[in-house]
Amino acid sequence: CNDKDFLDVSPRGALSDENLNTPEGAEKQVIAAYSALANDGFTAPFSSLWPYGNLRSGDAYKGGGGTGDIEGFHFYETFTFNRPDISNTDEVWFRLYVGISRANEALNRLNKVDMPNKAIRQGEMRFLRGHFYFILKELFDRVPYIDETVPVADYEKISNVDLTSQQLWDKIAADFQFAVDNLPASQGEVGRASQVAAKAYLAKTRLFQAYVQDDNHQVTSIDQAKLQEVVRLTDEVIGTGKHSLSPDFGNNFQSQFDNGRESVFAIQFSKDDGTPRGRINQGNKLNYPMNAEFGCCGFHQPSQNLVNAFKTDAKGLPLFTTFNTTSLTEPADFQNNAVDPRLDHTVAIPTHPWKYDPSFVFQRSWVRVPDIYGQFMSQKELVGPKDQSFQKLPPFMSSTKNWAVIRYADVLLWKSEALIELNRAAEALPLINELRRRAAASTTLLKDISGQPVSNYRIGEYAADQWTQEYAREALRWERRLEFAMEGTRFFDLVRWGIAADYLNTYLSVEKTRRQYLQNAQFQRGRDEYLPIPLNQINFSKGLYKQNPNW
Amino acid sequence: PLALPGSVQAASLRYAGATARLAETPISGRVTDDQGAGLPGVTVVVKGTTIGTSTGPNGEFSLSVPDNATLIFSFIGYKTQEVSAAGRTSFSVKLATDVAALDEVVVTGYQVQRKADLTGAVAVVKADEVKDLPSGNIMRNLQGRVPGVSINTDGAPDGGVSVRIRGLGTLGNNDPLYVIDGIPTKDGINQLNQNDIESIQVLKDASAASIYGSRAGNGVIIITTKKARKGVNRVEFSTFATVQHPRELAPMLNTQEYGRTYWQAAVNDGLTPSSPLYTFRSHTDANGRPVLDEVVVPEFIDADQTQRAADTNWFEEIQQRSLIQSYNVNLASGGERGNALFSLNYYDNDGVVKYSNFKRFTGRLNSDYSFLDGKLKVGENLTLARSRQSYGEDRQALGVSVLQLAIVPVRTVDGVGWGGPVNGIADRQNPVRLLEDNKQNYGVTNRAFGNAFADLELVKNLHLRTSFGIDYSLFSQRSLFKRYKSGYLSDNLNRLVNVERTFGNWVWQNTLNYSLTLGKSQLDLLAGTERISYTFNELSAQRTGFAIEDLDYAYLDAGSANKDNGGFASAYRLASYFGKVNYAFNERYLASITLRRDGSSRFGKENQFGVFPAASAGWRISEENFLKDNVALVSDLKLRAGWGQTGNQDIAYDAAYSLYRPVYGTDPTWDPDQGTAYDIAGNKTGALPSGYRRFQQGNDKLKWETTTQTNVGLDFGLLQNKLTGSVDYFVKNTKDILVKPPYLAVVGEGGDRFVNGASIENKGWEFLLGYQNEVAGSGFAYNITGNLSSYRNQVTALPREVINAYGGNGQDVTIIGQPFGSRYGYVADGLFQSQGEVDTHATQVGAGPGRIRYRDLNGDGKIDNFDQTWITSNQPDFIYGLNLGASYKGFDVQLFWQGVQGLEVYNETKFRTDFSYVTGENWGKRVLDAWTPENNGSTIPAVSLLNQNNELRQSSYFVENGSYLKLRNAQLGYSVPQRLTARLRLQQVRLYVQGTNLLTLKDRKGPNAYTSLDPEIQTFGYPIPVTFTTGLNVTF
Repeated sequence: CNDKDFLDVSPRGALSDENLNTPEGAEKQVIAAYSALANDGFTAPFSSLWPYGNLRSGDAYKGGGGTGDIEGFHFYETFTFNRPDISNTDEVWFRLYVGISRANEALNRLNKVDMPNKAIRQGEMRFLRGHFYFILKELFDRVPYIDETVPVADYEKISNVDLTSQQLWDKIAADFQFAVDNLPASQGEVGRASQVAAKAYLAKTRLFQAYVQDDNHQVTSIDQAKLQEVVRLTDEVIGTGKHSLSPDFGNNFQSQFDNGRESVFAIQFSKDDGTPRGRINQGNKLNYPMNAEFGCCGFHQPSQNLVNAFKTDAKGLPLFTTFNTTSLTEPADFQNNAVDPRLDHTVAIPTHPWKYDPSFVFQRSWVRVPDIYGQFMSQKELVGPKDQSFQKLPPFMSSTKNWAVIRYADVLLWKSEALIELNRAAEALPLINELRRRAAASTTLLKDISGQPVSNYRIGEYAADQWTQEYAREALRWERRLEFAMEGTRFFDLVRWGIAADYLNTYLSVEKTRRQYLQNAQFQRGRDEYLPIPLNQINFSKGLYKQNPNW
Repeated sequence: PLALPGSVQAASLRYAGATARLAETPISGRVTDDQGAGLPGVTVVVKGTTIGTSTGPNGEFSLSVPDNATLIFSFIGYKTQEVSAAGRTSFSVKLATDVAALDEVVVTGYQVQRKADLTGAVAVVKADEVKDLPSGNIMRNLQGRVPGVSINTDGAPDGGVSVRIRGLGTLGNNDPLYVIDGIPTKDGINQLNQNDIESIQVLKDASAASIYGSRAGNGVIIITTKKARKGVNRVEFSTFATVQHPRELAPMLNTQEYGRTYWQAAVNDGLTPSSPLYTFRSHTDANGRPVLDEVVVPEFIDADQTQRAADTNWFEEIQQRSLIQSYNVNLASGGERGNALFSLNYYDNDGVVKYSNFKRFTGRLNSDYSFLDGKLKVGENLTLARSRQSYGEDRQALGVSVLQLAIVPVRTVDGVGWGGPVNGIADRQNPVRLLEDNKQNYGVTNRAFGNAFADLELVKNLHLRTSFGIDYSLFSQRSLFKRYKSGYLSDNLNRLVNVERTFGNWVWQNTLNYSLTLGKSQLDLLAGTERISYTFNELSAQRTGFAIEDLDYAYLDAGSANKDNGGFASAYRLASYFGKVNYAFNERYLASITLRRDGSSRFGKENQFGVFPAASAGWRISEENFLKDNVALVSDLKLRAGWGQTGNQDIAYDAAYSLYRPVYGTDPTWDPDQGTAYDIAGNKTGALPSGYRRFQQGNDKLKWETTTQTNVGLDFGLLQNKLTGSVDYFVKNTKDILVKPPYLAVVGEGGDRFVNGASIENKGWEFLLGYQNEVAGSGFAYNITGNLSSYRNQVTALPREVINAYGGNGQDVTIIGQPFGSRYGYVADGLFQSQGEVDTHATQVGAGPGRIRYRDLNGDGKIDNFDQTWITSNQPDFIYGLNLGASYKGFDVQLFWQGVQGLEVYNETKFRTDFSYVTGENWGKRVLDAWTPENNGSTIPAVSLLNQNNELRQSSYFVENGSYLKLRNAQLGYSVPQRLTARLRLQQVRLYVQGTNLLTLKDRKGPNAYTSLDPEIQTFGYPIPVTFTTGLNVTF
């Protein structure tokens, strides 16, 4: 044969672009995009956002084997050494864009084929794209926005500052709006995004967007129209009756209640599914304690400040100003002080049963380096060693328990927040009390081996008499903290409210007396509200991307 | 008593008989060497006829010759001698050693040339010099012996080696092309039996290498295996046994020392020391400073009392004194119409790390046959190799031996279970468990390598040669991973993984060679074609849940769950045309022109073919009358100059294509799942729907890298070639270097795209000098050979988007103009000795007494990103080797030294010995001398658990003088005198002892001292052992 024929060696086991433009190919690419939701790893999680949302918020310490164990997270927590070239930052940026590119890839196929459920699938893909952009926006503020209409060759022409912060929110909102317009109220397969989920996510987007920030990340105004849209959307979600609070707060953190009524949108995990190690949750796999049943890796430890925040007064209400003057440390402290029951759902405390098992008691020796990071650990994201969802992945372990992206409690609090900022605080009161009522009813799982309550639980509802806008705002923010503690959202709340710098420097001024490694930690206003744009990306863009301010 | 010498006689008698009509006069004689010792195996032929024989064990021969015959005596390594037989029946011939080896023939690619006629930079290595070294990989043995060739290796039994010819010429694969008996290959040199190797030629410059075109960019190493020669019938047997001694790696803290250091670190950090493992007793002194009184080690480290606190030296636990054995037999039989060489070799290296064994069995048959009055020659070279290599947990075990605390016992108290980390100890495996649990796991490679050829002389001096070569390997591995519990690390599933790979290529070569002499002109012409087709196939399968953890049981069918399998393939092809003209005028003026055109399936549609030209010239000044007649000092002098281009195509075989692949799921343990499956229905288990993901973007313009090299060299021989040497200078520019640059993240996965992007320049000098002499009449001879080479490398161009990927500040400072591999970082300026020093220094977050002080390079009063500079170029001033040899009567002695000078290395060992920022990883004993307020002269930072000063940042703290000089090899040999061996009908018996890596000289003192053990290995790699060998070579 001639040389040309001889040298024509086609790639083995691969497809070309055009092969995929069929209804079947499009459906498969939709699944591939969903798959990206759960394809995070332990060095850059994006199912749970704990390294970015909790370590930077005063709720959690990094934990693990010391400050050098995943050093990038240590730098997130202490701010001072954080740099644009930290690999974890570049990784999470990249992996979120992998998700976006998979959604765009699927949309490209969907746009080219005819199929009966085309609009629904398009709606799902725009929901996912909105989800990934939302996280990017929370983390980095200004990011390049690329949709399926842009050819890959033109990607390098799109800068992260082409859109203003508000324009970027509008793009994200447009994706969720498209999803609202095209998705059915509910889907046969629980993993798929529904119209209700899209409305909730749109509400969340508008809520974040309502707090208008200047170029230095300082909140300058709150957009009332956006808040009204939040109220309208959350009302619609509530009005469907599709979702409600689980009777017990703890159901949200137990695998047997996956896809229950409180779950508005959740990432699905599986095992014994034909993949090499199962598709178990990777983003939380560093967070198991160091006892013999688990053994790795002791990350994500609640701060002393967070534990103290669960203290309640004689009426069962939070101690807004005095909570942090004394610390809950010794076993007796949890009897001598009253606490919100959500504490024992959230925090693993020495001598308290671990994860609702009275015979499986958490001990200080389960903590990896208590000298550095104290004696508490997180437990919402974890399951017990005998749970059907548990699986080892030596040296790690994790589970198939869902990760909730939006749970119904969020919807109630978004609505409350919007109402309070609209100066309609009174309407928020019953919503917040609904959560507190549920929390009060969530003590059945919190019993020790003799059937006694593990801690001294006391939680009450807010009364209408002192419920001013200012008080309501304080109560709402406290409620969010306790309800979603260790779920990866706190820092983004602080930045949204425009209080991150003051709050965190106040937190650090006390916490550094408790934790030696925080000596040099300091939050720099106008810089640390967002992660830096990864230096790699600025370089790869040949300088087209602009760094966030003050980095 | 052995049959073979007899058959020599029979063969020669038959030849004699066949020509009996002409052979009139019976003659006899003896051939000896310079010292008068009989030389066996010397070929004796009557000039212009096929009458001949070879000498017997004592050098004697007998033959019937025609009248007025001229006898030609030839033997490798000796000058060929012609003797007139007229009127004589008894001969005593003394053959002179061929010291200059000018008539030596060198294989230079599809042809052979006299060394004297070479115009390119070609280094020739005699394999005999290094074949007794026990490494198992011939390339390891060449370390330091060839100027311009830098060889780096470790002590692993598998013989892994990195060979770099004239610097780093590309950002990708820098391995040279190997051509073994004409068949090109890129790897697997450790599967060659080094006893089979006759010679090695290194084609360093482009004028020599460009005949190999698009694969020659990193230089070419030509390996020629031994062939039987006409008239030589011989059996060689050789064996050696080597004892390898483990070496202490960086000494680490013992149980007590770790406790004390942990306490000190916590105190330094302002923490109250407490540990899940140790109990500390301390008091406060008059100055208010805490003082440690006692560290109490618990009896058991776990609550269940299964692990008794130990004082384990993990390096000792995983290392062993071990044996290397080699047995080799080589049978050669050369006749008038055919030659055959058959060899068998067994090599077995147990490694100094337990269960890191490498075994190899090779067989070779090289034969050729003459037909049509010698006009047609048909033959083959074939080797079959079977090598068995342990699974390869040795490096991981070495790595965790550094980290694992001494307090962890190897075994639990029952002697059966494994010790392992408990709380307070980092999540690192028990290294002994890693080795023991994998000892049953190994891979086997079966490889067939060789060619069949036919060479037909069409008209006089016009040869048509065709060769069909194969290089196919079958790799097979069945690994059983056991259940284990080792402290809090455990796996309750066992797993069997089967992997089978078949890969390799065929090569079909056709060449025409023509040589022509016209007056004083000598012309050699070569034209040829070559086609190569390579395929790779892999199949893998695994299951879990085996009832018995025994390889005899654990076949796939015996597994009960998690059936999984995989398979993939790849392929490439090459189609090439080449031609070469060598011209010599009057043996003085030499010229050579080469042209090769390569087509490769790896490149884009638009650039599938490339052309690689070269030209070179030489002037043998010593042949000029003005020198030849007037300067007795000069025996040989040749000036060479060459220019040429070579290529590199070493990228993924499907690099030019856009690719999508179905990927169901990937192992998510360490890297995120790259798969596409998703549990969309929320079933939690069972088969999942899935899709496709993009792997790569295509590039139709993709082409090879081009290296353009200019070389000027001088070869000389002085004092009757007692002093010989050469000098070379080269400039080597590589452009269009193939890179797969990192890309904008917005592209998503599979944005990878190969492009031709970077340029690198190398310039350098190479010197080779040898002196050999024999003290007349004393029987004492000696020789000294030294070589030295030096090069300077710099990156001259990079695509803008990756320019910051190799160091620099992301702004005005980039790697351009710097050597590839340079490191950019902070300048460590000693330690802060007092708070006063901290206060007067620029603002440095985390500064404090005992902490590293970083220099404020830009003087802006704060230490940040912009206080970095190039802290090491990572290239030596020069590398060198020195060989000293001497012989007296039957004794010979050889000392070989090798060194690297002026190399600043980044000593990553210190990451592990000086710091422990994952709590429960060990420190090195170095920190016993770390800075404290009382020990403030120390250069080792105060121990810390917190790393507030971020001291693992890239800085000159880790830069040390990596220069070394090693006594690589010392050998003493004794050849049993002929009069004794002759009685046993043996031709030669040699016994030797040798040692390797006996001595290392390094910079031990001063600010730049190398603080770890072996400057050759800057991490916790496989240690290079000290070895002692006893060997025996017998020829009969």
